[in-house]
Amino acid sequence: MVSLSRVLQQWATFARVRYLLDGKMQPPGRLAALASVRLQGLHKPVYHQLSDCGDHAVIMNTRHTAFSGNKWEHKVYSSHTGYLGRFKQVTAAQLHQKDPVAIVKLAIYGMLPENLHRRTLIQRLHLFLDEDIPEEKSFLNHKKCPEV
Amino acid sequence: MAALNVLVSGCGRFLRGLLTGPTVTSWARPPARWLREVVEIQEGKTTIIEGRITGTPRESPNPPNPSGQCPICRWNLKHKYSYEDVLLLSQFIRPHGGMLPRRVTGLCQEEHRKIEECVKMAHRAGLLPNHRPKLPEGFVPKTRPRLNRYLTRWSPRSVKPIYNKGHRWNKVRMAVGSPLLKDNVSYTGRPLVLYH
Repeated sequence: MVSLSRVLQQWATFARVRYLLDGKMQPPGRLAALASVRLQGLHKPVYHQLSDCGDHAVIMNTRHTAFSGNKWEHKVYSSHTGYLGRFKQVTAAQLHQKDPVAIVKLAIYGMLPENLHRRTLIQRLHLFLDEDIPEEKSFLNHKKCPEV
Repeated sequence: MAALNVLVSGCGRFLRGLLTGPTVTSWARPPARWLREVVEIQEGKTTIIEGRITGTPRESPNPPNPSGQCPICRWNLKHKYSYEDVLLLSQFIRPHGGMLPRRVTGLCQEEHRKIEECVKMAHRAGLLPNHRPKLPEGFVPKTRPRLNRYLTRWSPRSVKPIYNKGHRWNKVRMAVGSPLLKDNVSYTGRPLVLYH
């Protein structure tokens, strides 16, 4: 183990890094679980709810996510604007065609804790349809999806 | 009269079952018709059209368990294969993706059903790209954006959305995989979940 000076150690502990996840042929729920853990900072031993220790999560290839079973046809995303008659129910296949990023985003939003931090954590999540990611998002810390 | 006929046909089926059962592997199989390729040779004024026997794929000799009744038992694969074992599944399908009948493959009823289910799941996952159905001449299919999927139990066109998921004690679950494969060996130690 390389011994660092204390300043460098503090920087390494508290820096906010970017984790890159590849969503090609992955189920969106599993991607969401990994991303939500890293967004909250639960993967760090110095985690505390108030210490804002979460990292950025960059997910690419969200267009090529794969659902198991018949979830593309079974799973229904519902929304209501509050006005009468405006209850909308769309299947996962229809939603994916309209907005390929939405399924992963909704999955992560549901897995984050339901408090006021959730909105800031979603701002630290970056979703992309395909492989091309703008230069400033391309990774300093490359994390591969674990084999399951 | 009708009852007697039913009894006799039942007995016939029973006897046939006896003959095709454990005794088949010990007797020699009747010679099957080999694949032939047509060769035309011109020798001066005579033309010879010949059907030369080419090899058909046969089961490799010396299976690990020669006393098994079906190929899966003979090769000790009883609860060990899944939809992703395409090399195994492609031995039981036709060139355009259909299953071979049981009397040709020699599988037992439950294994035939399991293989059929795995082949369907592999087709839906896109793991058998070279076994697509034959399209009529000059037909160019419209390329729709395909969704990636795996372990699909039902055909995508036959499935209705779950608009009411139900209360906490009575949820409508989504089916994943197939109950025919619930006895499969799990090497990761995690239980198999059939309904998400």
